[in-house]
Amino acid sequence: MSEIRLQGLYEEMLLLRHFDQLSMQLKLKDLIYSGYHPYEGQEAVAVGFCGALEKDDVLLSTHRPHCHAVAKGCTLEAVLTEMMGRVTGCSGGLGGGMQYLDPDHCFYCGSVVGSNLPIATGIGMAIKQQDLDRVCMCIFGDGASNTGSFHEALNLAAIWKLPIVFVCENNQFAEAMPVREFVACERIAMRARGYGLEEITVDGNDVEATRRVAQELIECTRRGKGPFLVEALTYRLRGHYVGDPEKTYRSREQVDMWRQKEPLTRARTKLLQAGVDAAELDAMEQAIENRLDALREWALQQAFPTLEQAVDHVYIPLAKGERTCP
Amino acid sequence: MSVITYGEAIRQAYQEEMRRDRNVFLMGEDVGRWGSLYRSSKGLLDEFGREQVKDAPISEAAIAGCGVGSALMGMRPIVEIMYIDFITIAMDQIVNHAAKWHQLSNGKVKLPIVFKTQGGAGRRNSSQHSQSLENWFVGVPGLIVVMPSTPYDVKGLLKSAVRNDNPVVFVEHKSLYSDKGEVPESEYLIPLGQADVKRAGEDVTIVATSWMVGFALKAAETLEADGVSCEVIDPRTLWPLDKETIIRSVKKTGLCLVVTEAPAEGGWSGEASSVIHEHCFRDLKKPVKRHCSIRTGIPYGPVLERQVVPNVESIVEAVQELVTQGSLIAV
Repeated sequence: MSEIRLQGLYEEMLLLRHFDQLSMQLKLKDLIYSGYHPYEGQEAVAVGFCGALEKDDVLLSTHRPHCHAVAKGCTLEAVLTEMMGRVTGCSGGLGGGMQYLDPDHCFYCGSVVGSNLPIATGIGMAIKQQDLDRVCMCIFGDGASNTGSFHEALNLAAIWKLPIVFVCENNQFAEAMPVREFVACERIAMRARGYGLEEITVDGNDVEATRRVAQELIECTRRGKGPFLVEALTYRLRGHYVGDPEKTYRSREQVDMWRQKEPLTRARTKLLQAGVDAAELDAMEQAIENRLDALREWALQQAFPTLEQAVDHVYIPLAKGERTCP
Repeated sequence: MSVITYGEAIRQAYQEEMRRDRNVFLMGEDVGRWGSLYRSSKGLLDEFGREQVKDAPISEAAIAGCGVGSALMGMRPIVEIMYIDFITIAMDQIVNHAAKWHQLSNGKVKLPIVFKTQGGAGRRNSSQHSQSLENWFVGVPGLIVVMPSTPYDVKGLLKSAVRNDNPVVFVEHKSLYSDKGEVPESEYLIPLGQADVKRAGEDVTIVATSWMVGFALKAAETLEADGVSCEVIDPRTLWPLDKETIIRSVKKTGLCLVVTEAPAEGGWSGEASSVIHEHCFRDLKKPVKRHCSIRTGIPYGPVLERQVVPNVESIVEAVQELVTQGSLIAV
């Protein structure tokens, strides 16, 4: 297992924080068209878990995927321009902000909550059957843990002992529904017991903890000890989407209380206490901002897909003698 | 040629494809120990083992999702949904994922999955085990929909479906598994998207699908005795649709009856009828007539079930109405 270096993790989280902010600005200018789901406050989950995977490992993500994708290794260019509907995006600009595929980086996400868990079972089954040195990670929110897909997939993965790390990124809200009101058990991780799995929780705002747990679970999964279900407890600092009616479901005080626990401040405080120079961290942040400014300018120059591209690849041409699908 | 049942033809198709390619596997409820509900995978667990023949829990979403995930990784899954009525639980995976990922990956991802199921009435199972839901899939871009009616067709089409790189919804019929028919001893494939003229005729074209094909052929025999010559066409693949074969026939006969077990409203029969009107308007002596099940839940028991689904006698009557001289305007 590789050594955990907080400064490196902090830098990755900073990149995601600024990337999220850039995306939010573009959404407010209507340059991102679909619902945009901000990630602020959850960076320690993406960096800790998604960033712990190897390139060949498969990651299945959600309708709030952009930071998972970047942490997995998808390029900022491909992810940002996908959200902006440009042809240089992961899915050629046809998927948008909630659903895109990047097979080169083994990254797949979709906008139907809970649907990625059953797909993970198929990936896990293929990895196991073909005896590949790969694992599948499937990340989903607290809301997904109430879907039938969650339970069907966890059971199947458990009975077949599939090499999957299921990560429940509990940001405490399914859109406007507080987790305490709609999940019957005290912790979502307790549901693991129903499938004969261990109950594992981690502080999702502590990037060293998420990375440590991720490394352990991935390693165990590689050795055939999977599957695992881990709950990472975090907090969604922004609305479900930009501009949602937040006060219908939570108080300002609650958000402020969680803001004090947010992962970047925590990591920075710890680094400073350990003697890292604040100027060094500021310079790091400035470099990220410069990089993202350039990214934004580049992204705005990219073309949109054509109608021809929009209707291409609906079907694979049938074999000789077979009808071409219109 | 050997004479085998529809169920045995399916079993042979599995066996040949699983022997040919170890990436082909069958997964579903009771496909292993039982050899499927209608024994169409009998004995395969013994030959291929649990890696290629997988009994799955009653988890249709997981079964379908397992198809998507394993196909993504280069396998060629045949996932069985025991009754088409249960496919409702698997719809998300089929419609939102299997049908979309090839396009969303700019063609990089291919998902060669066969979603194999069986539908229809005839086994006295009432309305949650007897439906004809194939229409839903015709409306989803990205899916191929196959509905074979004979042992010969089911074998050749299933083999093509397995080798095809698109997701295919393959709908068998529960009342056909013990039907017998001639099948070649040597290997053959039937191309997807190719209709079959099951009987040549001159006066009326009957386009029928699945279980209805056999009824239409029997009706054609009766009608022949009355001096009405029927051409019976089985599209075999609902989508893509072999329009040419149907259009060629209707241009010749000038009269057409479309027979499906699914109710007419909102169904593929309307699509077929529309295609014929668009291409054969000037050749038609009368508007295309549809003869489909009554729009109701399939009632329990043999008597009522028979009354709501088209049968030989009702098809004969429908054709007779069509050939009877009368108004050109549909009533």
